[in-house]
Amino acid sequence: MRPAVIIAVFTLVWLAVSGSFTIPNLVLGIAAAALSLLLVRGHIQPDGRRLRPLKALSLLALFLRELALSAWKVAVLVVRPKMDLKPGIFAFPLTVDRDFEITLLANLITLTPGTLSVDVSEDRKTLYVHALDCSDPAGARRDIANGFEKKILEAFR
Amino acid sequence: MGAQMILSVACGIALLLMCAAFFLAAWRVIKGPTLPDRIVALDTLTAIAIGFIAVIAIRTGFNLYIDIAIALGLVGFLATVAFARFVLSQGMQPGEAAAPEETAADARARRGGGHARRLR
Amino acid sequence: MLDLVLALVVGVMLVAGGVFTFLAALGILRLPDVYTRMHAASKAGTVGSGLMLLAAGIHSLDIAIFTRALAGFVFFVLTAPVAAHLVAKAAHAAGYRLSRLAVMDDMRASRKHAAKKR
Repeated sequence: MRPAVIIAVFTLVWLAVSGSFTIPNLVLGIAAAALSLLLVRGHIQPDGRRLRPLKALSLLALFLRELALSAWKVAVLVVRPKMDLKPGIFAFPLTVDRDFEITLLANLITLTPGTLSVDVSEDRKTLYVHALDCSDPAGARRDIANGFEKKILEAFR
Repeated sequence: MGAQMILSVACGIALLLMCAAFFLAAWRVIKGPTLPDRIVALDTLTAIAIGFIAVIAIRTGFNLYIDIAIALGLVGFLATVAFARFVLSQGMQPGEAAAPEETAADARARRGGGHARRLR
Repeated sequence: MLDLVLALVVGVMLVAGGVFTFLAALGILRLPDVYTRMHAASKAGTVGSGLMLLAAGIHSLDIAIFTRALAGFVFFVLTAPVAAHLVAKAAHAAGYRLSRLAVMDDMRASRKHAAKKR
């Protein structure tokens, strides 16, 4: 993302948190965003990544649906008198390779039903995912690859 | 009148649920058995406290409580991160069981694994 | 009339948030090991407290306070997986094992493999 886009996003967050939509507050927000970006400028590299707003929105919708579903599934699992758990950690081969995309994918996986990302291998090719029901790891891998990973690739490539 | 009653009943139910949740999570903090278990339980206690604050914000109509809840969420996240760093640097405590229902063979294997890790 | 609808929405969100938070705590007590407990804490717990915060935001009937509550909700949703990931990673690296119910652990296998190669 370009610095200008990041500053715009930061300013929006500032407006939402401070809760006053006035011109002086807007200026203050832009100043704060620019200052905070200046402080971490060594750690972010601007690349020619494009963001497709519509695809990103569809990713957000999918995410919210999965979040609600996952909370519901955990809730149902917990109240069952006899929990049938087959927990385990399986390796998921990553197609996305940029740090930002891996982070996003790991976060999305954590908030989907029954899966929680534990670690990324040092060569950034494998994501280790803990699953509540690990009886079918191949199916779980396919679900992630065809669901979130595909959406992320569509939204940010 | 009806609206007021719905709200106060909902607040009462929510407070009861949070109270029960608080005791359950506190029990896990006391019982352990491992440090990560306690960290996860403490994290949940933070979430429960945020819920309490939200209910109190609705009950009293004092909206400043929402800012307090957000600040508590921030501090709770930082605390969890710090705890995780602590577990990472400290490693497993000698007396801690690796899993709640561990067998002697598991323990032997773990000690072997721990040894190999130290060698690395 | 609008009063009643608003009270209903806020009330339902409060009770739903309370139920989710309660079930998260119950899950933390019932599930067998730290990794499975994390599932309950990071999903149900986040949704629970987030719903209650949003309910408080709606109840205030003030757009500024609602956006603040919404920002808080987004913040919780963003930080919960990061916290869970950090604790899980630290626990696994420190050597805390999965419960005996576990059917597989690719991460441990790969680590052993790497240790052997060295």
